[in-house]
Amino acid sequence: MKLHTRFLAAAAAAGMAVATLAGCGSSGSGSSGDTITLGMVVPLTGSSAAIGPYMQNGAQLAINEINDAGGVLGKKLQLEVQDGACDSKSASTAANKLVSDKVTVSVGGYCSGATLPTLPIFNNANIPMIIPAANSDDLVNQKLPLVFLINGTGTQQAAAAMKFMTKENAKKVALMDDSTSYSTNITKNVAALMKKDSSGPQQAIHESVTAGESDYSANVNAVIKASPDFVYWTGYYQEGGLIIKQLRQAGYTGKIMVADGSVDAKLIQIAGQANAQGVFATMTQTPETIPDGAAWIAKYKKAFDNKAPGPYSTQSYDAVRVAAEAIKNANSTDGKAIATALEKIDGFKLFSGPLKFTPEHTLSSGGFLILVVKGDKFDVQDQLQD
Amino acid sequence: MTQLIWNGIFIGSFYALVALGYSMVYGIIKLLNFAHGDIYMLGAFAGFAMLTAFGGAIGGGSIVALLVVLVLSMLGTGIFGVVLERVAYRPVRSAPRLNALITAVGASFTIEYGMSLIAGPNPRVYPVQLTGTPFTVLGARINEQQVILIVVALVLMVGMNLWVVRTRSGRAMRAISQDPKACLYMGVKVDNVISWAFFIGSALAGAAGVMAGAYFGSITFLMGFIIGLKAFTAAVIGGIGNIPGAMLGGILLGLLESFGTAWLGGQWRDVFTFVVLILLLTVRPTGLLGERVTERV
Repeated sequence: MKLHTRFLAAAAAAGMAVATLAGCGSSGSGSSGDTITLGMVVPLTGSSAAIGPYMQNGAQLAINEINDAGGVLGKKLQLEVQDGACDSKSASTAANKLVSDKVTVSVGGYCSGATLPTLPIFNNANIPMIIPAANSDDLVNQKLPLVFLINGTGTQQAAAAMKFMTKENAKKVALMDDSTSYSTNITKNVAALMKKDSSGPQQAIHESVTAGESDYSANVNAVIKASPDFVYWTGYYQEGGLIIKQLRQAGYTGKIMVADGSVDAKLIQIAGQANAQGVFATMTQTPETIPDGAAWIAKYKKAFDNKAPGPYSTQSYDAVRVAAEAIKNANSTDGKAIATALEKIDGFKLFSGPLKFTPEHTLSSGGFLILVVKGDKFDVQDQLQD
Repeated sequence: MTQLIWNGIFIGSFYALVALGYSMVYGIIKLLNFAHGDIYMLGAFAGFAMLTAFGGAIGGGSIVALLVVLVLSMLGTGIFGVVLERVAYRPVRSAPRLNALITAVGASFTIEYGMSLIAGPNPRVYPVQLTGTPFTVLGARINEQQVILIVVALVLMVGMNLWVVRTRSGRAMRAISQDPKACLYMGVKVDNVISWAFFIGSALAGAAGVMAGAYFGSITFLMGFIIGLKAFTAAVIGGIGNIPGAMLGGILLGLLESFGTAWLGGQWRDVFTFVVLILLLTVRPTGLLGERVTERV
């Protein structure tokens, strides 16, 4: 019995602590207090758990800089991060949590499949979304007025891939995806482009794999049977590394290219350095590929215990800066006013180039370039400027 | 054609190794141990930790060194399986079947995200990987390391089958699967035998994990999820509770996937596989080698 009462007391104390914390949270968030909260749904658990912290840190870096410079509309910015787990149900729950915490703008979104169901949730709550990483065309196809993408879209990536394959004189192309929204969006766009132009590269086979497995020999076998001279993988790096390794083991000697979801040093480690040499990638600008990137990387490392930035750190950094710019221009924290301000932005400097949204709320120039694996990292192969 | 068969047998032998533990545990205590796939993952990480720590001391990529790591990892995952049964499953053994099932699901998540906390969510790359030169047999491209892995898997499976058929504790295990209460009356140490079943099943899954790490090269904390489902499927195809059935089911599942991908493309593989599985279960509801349970009044 004594134990019982002690437990009750502890529970009561814990409950009070939670209540106090919650109180802090609600007074601090939203546009009514002296802070403006930006929400972010990114994967912190699940198969893409590695990406979340890169994006969170990128966003936090921008927030620190803006706050040091005096904040926005005289208020400080703060970031609230929720775990979307690259899963549509978790992401919806996370988005609802951010809505109930009254965030002003959402600056998250990595997996397109998990980001899709969060769009109407934010849109109905009058919260504009500046999506840093997710880039399936499905995200803008619903034409929701508050959705903005600052990563190049699937259409733009497919066009860049097509341009490079034509340059490389590819004849028979094997398209491989992992059946996710992001991945099939690119392969379908490339397939459509190839169908349109019978003089350029042609599709030899379109193969979909199941993500999360280790053995892709059956898929690799089917691809090799179609005897392609170019393989384009549009899924993520974990499966990508295995597929590159197994393609080479099965005797494939032609060219391989991967999409931006596979651009990570882990891809090279998983594939094995020897197998990965010369693998191309379609990618947006990263701190490594831009002229003044080294200074930014140093700044990032200084802020986060010497940890290096990763994929989408820069885009998340930019998403926060764009959000702050729009709030400042709108002189308001109302969602519709911010969206109008976003549409009016012209020439705001991002890592991918000057920002101007198209009527569909995507980047007017995707800023895709081609990288190539040299040694243990990705180098620039072709800026695709001509 | 021969290539498809070879690919199917190779991946099927992984399914079979994991399916054995599934089937054995189900056969004895009628528990679907959903954490079984995660023990496969633990085996891969145990091997990874040992190879990283002692990589230099045991002489790099030699087969002998890998075999030692394999045996030690099997021991580790085997003990983990015994502890898991003692801590998570034994307390709910007499409760309704559904309680144990949910406990197993909980154990699965606990192991997955526990490992994610310890080793991080990023995929890890095995420090020592099997390498070998490929050669061609009847038009199929075969790697030396694939042959080694299949031989190891076969030895483990045959050894386990002999143990169940020939030894005293194996006999006790079969007896418990028929009537645990009567065994208790006959003086069989039921708890001990169940612990043994968990030890052996988990050790086999751990072996499959180390082999997958050394062959495919990358491991993650979620790698056990899909193979767990596949192994469960294989166990059902073979007739759950039946040990040779689990092996047969694993190989058959591997072959179905291999041919499904070749005939219909990767996007249709699982549809093809499971349509065949459903048809098979309509014809033989107890699986390939499962025994028909006769109702006794």
